[in-house]
Amino acid sequence: MRVGIVCPYSWDVPGGVQAHVRDLAESLIDLGHSVSVLAPVDEPETAALPAYLVAAGRTVPVPYNGSVARLCFGPLSLARTRRWLRKGRFDVLHLHEPTVPSLSMMACFAAKGAMVATFHTATARSRALQVFGTTLQPGLEKITGRIAVSPAARRVVVEHLGHDAVLIPNGVDVARFSVERPAHDRPTVVFLGRVDEPRKGLQVLLAAWPAVQARVPGVELVVAGPGDVEPPPGVRVLGLVDEKDKPSVYAAADVYCAPNTHGESFGIVLIEAMAAGTPVVASDLEAFRRVLDDGEAGLLFPVGDAVALADALAALLLDPERRRLLAAKGSRVVQAYDWRHVTREIVEVYETVRAAAPVELEELEEPYLDELEGEDDPSRVPETLRRWLAVVREAVER
Amino acid sequence: MNAAVAWSVLAIILIAVYITWTAGRLDRMHARVDAAWAALDAQLVRRSAAARALGVLSVTRAADEALDATPERRQDVENDLTRALRAAWASLPEGAPRDELEAAASRVALARSFHNGAVTNARTLRRNRLVQLLRLSGHRELPEFFDVDETGFSDEEPGPLT
Repeated sequence: MRVGIVCPYSWDVPGGVQAHVRDLAESLIDLGHSVSVLAPVDEPETAALPAYLVAAGRTVPVPYNGSVARLCFGPLSLARTRRWLRKGRFDVLHLHEPTVPSLSMMACFAAKGAMVATFHTATARSRALQVFGTTLQPGLEKITGRIAVSPAARRVVVEHLGHDAVLIPNGVDVARFSVERPAHDRPTVVFLGRVDEPRKGLQVLLAAWPAVQARVPGVELVVAGPGDVEPPPGVRVLGLVDEKDKPSVYAAADVYCAPNTHGESFGIVLIEAMAAGTPVVASDLEAFRRVLDDGEAGLLFPVGDAVALADALAALLLDPERRRLLAAKGSRVVQAYDWRHVTREIVEVYETVRAAAPVELEELEEPYLDELEGEDDPSRVPETLRRWLAVVREAVER
Repeated sequence: MNAAVAWSVLAIILIAVYITWTAGRLDRMHARVDAAWAALDAQLVRRSAAARALGVLSVTRAADEALDATPERRQDVENDLTRALRAAWASLPEGAPRDELEAAASRVALARSFHNGAVTNARTLRRNRLVQLLRLSGHRELPEFFDVDETGFSDEEPGPLT
C-alpha cells in the first residue's frame, strides 16, 4: 500500500507526535508498505533526514495550547504539499493532528481520497477550532477514519467534531528499550522532558527533592531534556538526550518520575521507562492512570503535590522488592503498546478506510496531469497523453 | 441607484455560489455515506461467511438470515447473529476458525465506526436551515446510523476496539 503521512510539527525538534510518526513510518516500511512522510524541517542543511521524509519548509513559533508550538503554513508550504500529494499517488493519506493549523490541516484541505486522521492531544480546547469553528468542518469531514491515541483524546474528538474515533494507543518499540541495566552505586531518579515547560512538572519534582534527599542517603536526580535549568545540589543535568541514548538513560535509573501537571494525553515516556525495566512514579493524570493500570504497574501521586511525590519516591527507592515487582508488572503492560501490534491495527484502519472512501474522478486524472506538466522526462509525454485520453474517454463513456 | 444594483447583483452572486457549494458538499457527503455503507456491508457479509465456517447449526442459521435480510431488517438480524455467536462461542468444536471470525468482527467494528461518522456529518448538514428550505437533499432519505452490538464473544476476552 502507498501511504502518505503528514506530521504538523518540526521533524528536527523532539516531540511525541514526531516520534509517533517516525516509528509508524518505519514499522510500516518493515511490513513492506511504501511510505512517504511530509513534515516541516527547520534546519534542512544540518538535520539528518531519513529517506522517506519530504521537507515542507520551516516553521514559525506560535504559543499554542500552553506551550510553544512550531507550526508550518504559508503559500510555499502549500505548494509543496500539493506537489507531494500529486507525486505520491497515495492509497491512503494519514494526517496527524489535523485540527492544529499547520501542515496536516493544509494537506487535509488540498487532498482527495481515502484519509485517516490521528488525534493526539487531550487538551480540552483547540484554539483553531475555537476561532474558526464551523468553517473548518467542511475540510475535516473529508476524513473517513479517525484514530485517537487515548480515551482523553477520543473524548476531545467527540466533543469537537461530534463523532467517534477508533482507540489505538501509541506504540513503543519495546525491543529497543530493553537494554541491559547497568549496575550503579547511588540510588537514581530520572526525569525526561522539556525542563522549561511548566506542564512537564519539573518544578514539582524539584520542590519535592530536598525531602527525598533527607530520607534517601546519596540519592541522585538526573534531568534529561532540552531547556535551561539551574541545577540544585544533587541534581545532574544532561541536557538534550539523543534518541538512541534514551534507553540507557531510562535503564540507568532506579525510578522514573513523571510529575506532569496537565495536557498529557498518553504518556509515552511511561511506556518507554517500563520497557527499559524501570519502575515509574507519575502524577495521577487520567492518561497516566490508564497506562499504569490504576497504579498496579507504577505509583501515582496527586497532581502537583510535592509532599506526596517525595513520600512515593522515598518509599520506592528504599524498597528494592517493590521495585522488582513493579518492573515485572510493567514489562507485561508494555506488550500491548508494542509497535508491531499497534501497526497491524493501524493497517486494518487503512484497509477499511480505502474500502469506505468514495473514489473521485479527479483522482484518476491528476497523476496524468502531473506528468503532462513536464516534471518528468519529456519523451514520455505522448505515451502519458495517450493514457490520459483513454481515462477521459472511459469516464465519458461511463 | 447604480451602486445599489451593483451591490444587489454581487450579493445574489455570492448567495448563489454559497448555495451551489453547499449542494455540492451535501452531494459529496451522501456519496461518502454510500461508500461507507458499501464497505460496512462487505464486512458484514464477510463476518457471516466466517460465522458459517464455524460449523455450528444455530450460528449458520443466523448467518443465513443475515445474508438474506432486507435492508430494513438488517440491523436486527446482524444483532441476532452476534448473539448467536456469543451463545455458541464457549462450546465451539475443536479447530473451529475463531481467528478469522474475530478478524472479521474487528473489521465490522471499524467499518461501522466510519459509516456512522459519515452519517453524523450528513445529518448535521441536513439540519442546516438553508438545506431544508431549498430542499437541497432532493428525494434522498435521511441517512440512518447502523447500530450493532460490538462487545466480544467471550467473557474473558475484551471485544475489538472497546
